[in-house]
Amino acid sequence: MAAITEPGTAPRKAARPTSGDRTRVRKYTADQVPLGSLLLRMLAGLVVLVVFLLPYLIMFFGSVKTKAEIRSVDPTYFPTEWHWENYATMWSTPETPLLQNLISTLVISLCATLLVLAVALPASYYTARFRFPGRLVFLFLVIVTQMVQPAVLTSGLFRQFIAWGILDTWAAMILVNAAFNLSFAVWIMHSFFAGIPKEVDEAAQLDGAGTFTVLTKINLPLVWPGIVTAVVFTFVASWNEFAASLVLLTTAGNQPLSVALTKFVGQYETSWHYVFGVSVVAIVPVVILFMAIEKRLVGGLVSGSVK
Amino acid sequence: MAQYKRLGGIMAITLAATTGLTACGFGGSGGGEESGDGTTLDLLVPSYSDATQGLWNDVIAGFEEENPDVQVNLQVESWDNLESVIATRIQGGDAPDIYNGGPFAGFAEDELLYPVDEVTSDETYASFQPSFLDNAQVDGTTYGLPWIASSRALFVNDALLEEAGAEVPATWDELLESAKKVSELGGGVAGYGMPLGSEEAQAEAAVWLWGGGGSFGDAEAITIDTPENLEGAEFIKKMIDEGATQADAGATDRSPLFDIFVQGKIGMQIGLPPSVGQIESDNPDLEYSIHPIPTKDGEPFTLGVADHLMAFKNDGDKQEAITSFFDYLYTADVYVPWVQAEGFLPTTLSASEQLADDEALAPFLEGLPDAQFYPSTNPDWNAADSAFKALFGQLGGDKSAQDVLTEIQARVDEG
Amino acid sequence: MKDLLKALPWIGPAVALIAAVVLFPIGLMLWNSTRDITQSGLDDGGVGLANFAAVVGFQYFWPILGRTVVWVVVVVACTLFGSLALAALLNKAFPGRRLVRMAVIVPWAASVVMTTLVVHYGLEPYFGIINSFLVDIGLIDTPEGYGWTRHAGTAFAWAMAVAVFVSLPFTTYTILAGLQTVPGETVEAARIDGASGVRTYFSVVLPQLRSAVSVAVLINIINVFNSLPILRVMTGSIPGYDADTVMTMIFKYMQNQRQIDLASALSVIAFLVVIGIVAIYVRVVRPLEEV
Repeated sequence: MAAITEPGTAPRKAARPTSGDRTRVRKYTADQVPLGSLLLRMLAGLVVLVVFLLPYLIMFFGSVKTKAEIRSVDPTYFPTEWHWENYATMWSTPETPLLQNLISTLVISLCATLLVLAVALPASYYTARFRFPGRLVFLFLVIVTQMVQPAVLTSGLFRQFIAWGILDTWAAMILVNAAFNLSFAVWIMHSFFAGIPKEVDEAAQLDGAGTFTVLTKINLPLVWPGIVTAVVFTFVASWNEFAASLVLLTTAGNQPLSVALTKFVGQYETSWHYVFGVSVVAIVPVVILFMAIEKRLVGGLVSGSVK
Repeated sequence: MAQYKRLGGIMAITLAATTGLTACGFGGSGGGEESGDGTTLDLLVPSYSDATQGLWNDVIAGFEEENPDVQVNLQVESWDNLESVIATRIQGGDAPDIYNGGPFAGFAEDELLYPVDEVTSDETYASFQPSFLDNAQVDGTTYGLPWIASSRALFVNDALLEEAGAEVPATWDELLESAKKVSELGGGVAGYGMPLGSEEAQAEAAVWLWGGGGSFGDAEAITIDTPENLEGAEFIKKMIDEGATQADAGATDRSPLFDIFVQGKIGMQIGLPPSVGQIESDNPDLEYSIHPIPTKDGEPFTLGVADHLMAFKNDGDKQEAITSFFDYLYTADVYVPWVQAEGFLPTTLSASEQLADDEALAPFLEGLPDAQFYPSTNPDWNAADSAFKALFGQLGGDKSAQDVLTEIQARVDEG
Repeated sequence: MKDLLKALPWIGPAVALIAAVVLFPIGLMLWNSTRDITQSGLDDGGVGLANFAAVVGFQYFWPILGRTVVWVVVVVACTLFGSLALAALLNKAFPGRRLVRMAVIVPWAASVVMTTLVVHYGLEPYFGIINSFLVDIGLIDTPEGYGWTRHAGTAFAWAMAVAVFVSLPFTTYTILAGLQTVPGETVEAARIDGASGVRTYFSVVLPQLRSAVSVAVLINIINVFNSLPILRVMTGSIPGYDADTVMTMIFKYMQNQRQIDLASALSVIAFLVVIGIVAIYVRVVRPLEEV
């Protein structure tokens, strides 16, 4: 949130070093843009800005209201008093140890993302570059995992992890998140690898480079945007996962925020201000992370090399 | 314990950061591994309020001090998640040792539970109020330990009724008249708060259907589609159609609606013992009073609900530890403060006597002799319960009362 | 065969992960769909295809299936067109563009449950901000607001709006990344030839986006079909089955009625439906053509 409300500093600074991106954009949008259409774009941009931030502003304002104010039948748009102490008191609520929940969410999401990357990168590269028997079977198998709703598989996962002795550990959820997000990663990176002309590889191989060197030295820099997209996707999906965590993680401290938040919705009262406060805390680091890699997300590297 | 967990978390992060993936497998502080030689009891309970977790932690600390060789693992889940968690754990062969929940007949039928007299001392068993024990039996054997109870009563906003010139009702017709008068005040005020939403539709259904002389059946048969029940359902529809209730009664949940009552925008609504505490903390200025539930002809009646503790037969070697836990739990020094803190009614004779002077609980304790209970010892009650939650709210829509009852009965009959 | 052995070190880890984590639960789901399982989760023996017959014979099955198709088609279509427009805008230079790009990311970074909860809270009668706003500007004349999430139609519509909202960032950024692969020279050449901006977009840019768009749509189809939390929150309080999709129905079987056997049978059906949809899509659109 903070980074967004400081338009003067962060974004402009971040914009400067993207020289490749910048020059190309200038080229694309032609030399002179008429003032009228520039204003139109800015107006459209403003509408988009408001629509996309509105729910999170509601969330933020709600998080500094008192419990009474946020449930008042005469709702207020802005807090009458700013109760910043909510951000301190919510960590010691009796419902759930939120700090541990935040740590669990982070560890599970980060490890799952690393695992996905380690497994999906070679697989997507190889399937995009080489024909081999069973290639289509493999790609089909991968996409099938995406088509089942993990919520339905929880009883099977539960039995399996008991047998392995890793029920109620982060490892269980790391495996689940990695396995169910593998397909997106493979497919996204696969299409990026496939987008690189084979001639690039062949040229390098003529120079005597092995398959592994071709991957790391030649291809990786070109598919960077694909990798970033895959990473972001996996991370966010793990961050959001609810159904499997609910049954596989039984100790309160091991559970991720997605599960912990539901405990505030009690049988008799809902502490909305805490739900929103925790949400804000959970969203901000991810937004910052996304901002940091935003230019990679749309990086112009591919277009730069495909000429 | 908490110290250990945090340390585990920090260690895991450090490890993950330095060695990458290899650390991931050893992250969480696993609840699976047993520590030491003693017995470990797994406890799965629902969250009744913000205080539930703390109350259980106190109980467990006290118990572990007296029984150093027994370790208790606590898991608290919201009511929403509780049933899916227990179902998955049973299917996975990892049922908790002690479970706090609602219906238990299905578990008893599948022979998963210890009979109560095998996991309690004679004194503990004898301390329960007989009416609660009757309600905890399947085929003559008691499987659930009555834990906390509630009865319902009509909460009335005196200020609104006075402003509207309405009387506190005792019969349905009076209720309709008074509620309509209050609704006519306008400004977002509703006469009667009617929550038929999925949260607890079966409770509002029982209040009306039984108040008209109907019932949901008994241990042998669940009977929803009866002429007596139809009368109550049709009166609900009449209340809604004549504008005596808040908007969208069919999809309104009880808790958020009671919040609105607390803030003085609803004339009358059915409440529970903890509702008193809620008003006291959120809006102590509310002018309200508590009255018996209006029925068709004014006969006194209330809906009683008891939640139960039950003990699952897991390895068979924990019976002794479970017994000492239950015996500890039901000693007056442990039990009475627990019940009092959550604002519910006790299920033991001695605790009832102790709490009889409690002003807030008095109107509810008074109602207990006339209380009727859900037929929860019938294994089909689970299906009926979920059918009410899913379907009863359709009374707020275009469906006729008869169609709604028929549909619920059909769901129960197919199991 | 030698080729396969050569491929193994590359694809082996992925195969192992899938085999280890996913195959057993899927197998159990198939198995459960043919068993009679009690409410507390015990297996009472096989019943053949009776569970499937019960699920398909349920009086609301076909409306639910139809609604699922509407859900997927409307959400994916709106997401696609919204994202194409957004990406086109965000690819143009204008002051404040970075700020807008950042804003578009936020719903992606926020958890779906959190976003849905805020909207649901805002739509509550009596204390919801969105309702209160609509009352203040005079669109609603009941002072407590309108029960948006209490009527099947409006709740479902809002759920679709939220689903589009949270799907936009990913799709927009995929297309934005695709736009980067459109060679600037090609566009300029078209410009020099006298093509208008709109024509350039449809004749030069859009064909280049084919690969990015078709993959994004495929992923969205599967994702939207499998989406549970949004509908669960937004339509959770609707009595009956007038706002259910296959996914929420599976959930109702599982959690509400505790019929794991029926839930498994419906899951298998859902699985076949997705495969069907994806197969048709792959046939028609050929997203993997150049692969």
